[in-house]
Amino acid sequence: MRELRAALGPSIAAKVRSGAELLRSAANSGQTSIIPTTLEPIDALLGGGLQRGKLVELVSRFASGRFSIVLSTLAAATTMGEAAALIDLGDHFDPQLAEENGVDLRRLLWVRPRSVKEAVMSAEMITATGFQLVVVDVGLHPLRGRRAPEAAWVRLARTAESHGTAMLVSSPYPLTGTACEAVLKGTIARASWIGRGKAPRLLEGIDMNVTLEKHRHLKPGSSTSVTLRFVDAS
Amino acid sequence: MTRIACFYVPMFPLAARLRSEPDLLQEALAIIDGNAQNAHVIAATRRARTKGIVPGMSLAQARSIIPKLIARPRDTECERTAQEALFEVAETFSPRVEDAGEGIVFVDVTGMERHFDSETDLARAAIRAAARMGLTARVGIAASKLAARVAAELPHSPIIVEAGKESEFLAPLPLARLTPELDAATTLRRWGIGSIGELAGLPESEVASRLGELGRELHYAARGIDPRPLIPRPLPPDFREGMELEWPLVALEPFLFIANAALDRLSQRMEMQGFACKRLELTLALEPDGFYARGIGLPAPTRDVKTMLTLLRLDLEKNPPGAPVVGFSLVAHPDRPRRAQLSLFGPAALSPEKLATTIARLVSLLGENRVGMAMSVDGHLPERYDIADYAPPPPPETRRKPQKSRALLAIRVLRPPVAVEVITREAEGKTQIASIRGEGDLSGPVRMSSGPWRVESGWWSDAPAAREYWDVELERGGIYRVYQAAPSTDWFVDARYD
Repeated sequence: MRELRAALGPSIAAKVRSGAELLRSAANSGQTSIIPTTLEPIDALLGGGLQRGKLVELVSRFASGRFSIVLSTLAAATTMGEAAALIDLGDHFDPQLAEENGVDLRRLLWVRPRSVKEAVMSAEMITATGFQLVVVDVGLHPLRGRRAPEAAWVRLARTAESHGTAMLVSSPYPLTGTACEAVLKGTIARASWIGRGKAPRLLEGIDMNVTLEKHRHLKPGSSTSVTLRFVDAS
Repeated sequence: MTRIACFYVPMFPLAARLRSEPDLLQEALAIIDGNAQNAHVIAATRRARTKGIVPGMSLAQARSIIPKLIARPRDTECERTAQEALFEVAETFSPRVEDAGEGIVFVDVTGMERHFDSETDLARAAIRAAARMGLTARVGIAASKLAARVAAELPHSPIIVEAGKESEFLAPLPLARLTPELDAATTLRRWGIGSIGELAGLPESEVASRLGELGRELHYAARGIDPRPLIPRPLPPDFREGMELEWPLVALEPFLFIANAALDRLSQRMEMQGFACKRLELTLALEPDGFYARGIGLPAPTRDVKTMLTLLRLDLEKNPPGAPVVGFSLVAHPDRPRRAQLSLFGPAALSPEKLATTIARLVSLLGENRVGMAMSVDGHLPERYDIADYAPPPPPETRRKPQKSRALLAIRVLRPPVAVEVITREAEGKTQIASIRGEGDLSGPVRMSSGPWRVESGWWSDAPAAREYWDVELERGGIYRVYQAAPSTDWFVDARYD
């Protein structure tokens, strides 16, 4: 390669690249290796968004905008033209609201398992098919069905890695153990209301607090807050 | 010059049976025809033949030689499906194929020299393809159907008869190779005619004047002249596999074991034709009489045996036949597998075949209406939704930027709604919710509430809905949507803001 560049003129030599260099530059550009949540504070915590081939866990027991992050990520992926899947263990998905949120329903595979075991099996099958984003939402506490062993999550993480799938697990408490790349933890969010006294009262939204509990490449412990607005999609 | 190949499966009833039960190949097995005293052997495995079992022997005679001889009756279902399989092997070489029945098909291989170095290579490829389908075939290639069939019936396959040399090829062979009618064969033997060449040497008019039109046709055949054209058969609309069972089956697992092998054969046949299964039909023959038929629609065309078997299992577990099973047939309705052009620059497209198989496997794992594309539905009740088959559009040609988030608060719908007790109070001239009592987290004093919003839906229908909705935030955390359904006073939580 050096000899080739030396033989060419400087203007042309600068444009000649080997295959390995092309791959490195594509990897470094970051544009294709990340699916953002498009919620800027959350993306900042994760170093840009969800890494392809990595499993990120989002943990929160009480209402803290966990499902809002899920929908926002699905909206981002589907509007990019990626194939996304939602493994909806709690059967909580609302198509009307998702559409309002920007999710392209045509590109979203909705799967409604009945137990954690079925959810993990479904996620593995879907990941191996080549979906670019797989979200496993295990619903509210208490979980339907028993927990899956940690080995199942490790296997799922490896499948995601080998197929380059960005995987998000949304759960009321930690499930994936050592298999995940990063853990985001949401704390109790307080609602903000408009209207006082005799004026009609309306839910305005919530202020969500999220902390980076673990990350294999970034320093954990940083927190952020996001404001989510209420919309009546009915 | 037309060139015709004949694919011939010797001892076809035996070959068909061994295709369905390959474990019997090494056993002393005889295929018998007829019942009781009339039962006689029509074909036998090599192990039985080496002990002296020959076709035409009665079953009693055969059993006196080998007491532990396995005797199987002719299975028309096995033979029919084996014939179909042979036909489909032939179709992979040429679209012009004639089904001559009983393990014989004729294939027009004119012009195939562009694809194979020689006709011998073509014939060897055909033998290999038939072997992959579980059939031991012989192949003969000649300019006429007759010469090709005679060449295929000879051992040391493949045999290629050069164009114009049919009469030379046939001449040394015994006359029985032309399978003449019994009367004509007896007359010719009396004349001292033993080989095809001797018959061809007689004057045609003399033979015709003594044996009639039959004699003229036989004389033509002896000279290698076969005026019958090849009559191609159209492609069958579906693929069928099945067999009659030796004894009735009453449990599901043994049946699925046999069905698995049949599905495997179906899958191979469909793959050879470039098809996938869209719908599977199962017909069970029951004891003492009657049939039981089931139709299983696949969510997407697939050839995945595991998926089809799982769907079959689930269907039979849900709808058992109710009587012992003595035979079955599986019919696969074919469809073209989904195809897609993959992009170089945009997001990676899903492989249609892989996607179809995954969806079929997910449906078999989770059940119907639990996998698909969510659809929004017109209406007013918040819990409305619909689910359709997942068929994503092709990805864009170039990667798009993600849409900026609207940062909307999402709702987790609770299906079905959870019944709760609600205590209201009057404050500042308005009705407010004071506390909720329900299961788990759905309990406790209310920090803030807003409402009511009235929703009426379907007042013209038999099931009208009139509800008053509230948003409530509990002191312990958690924002819920609750409603009171008129005309009752019952309260429900139908969603949680998250």
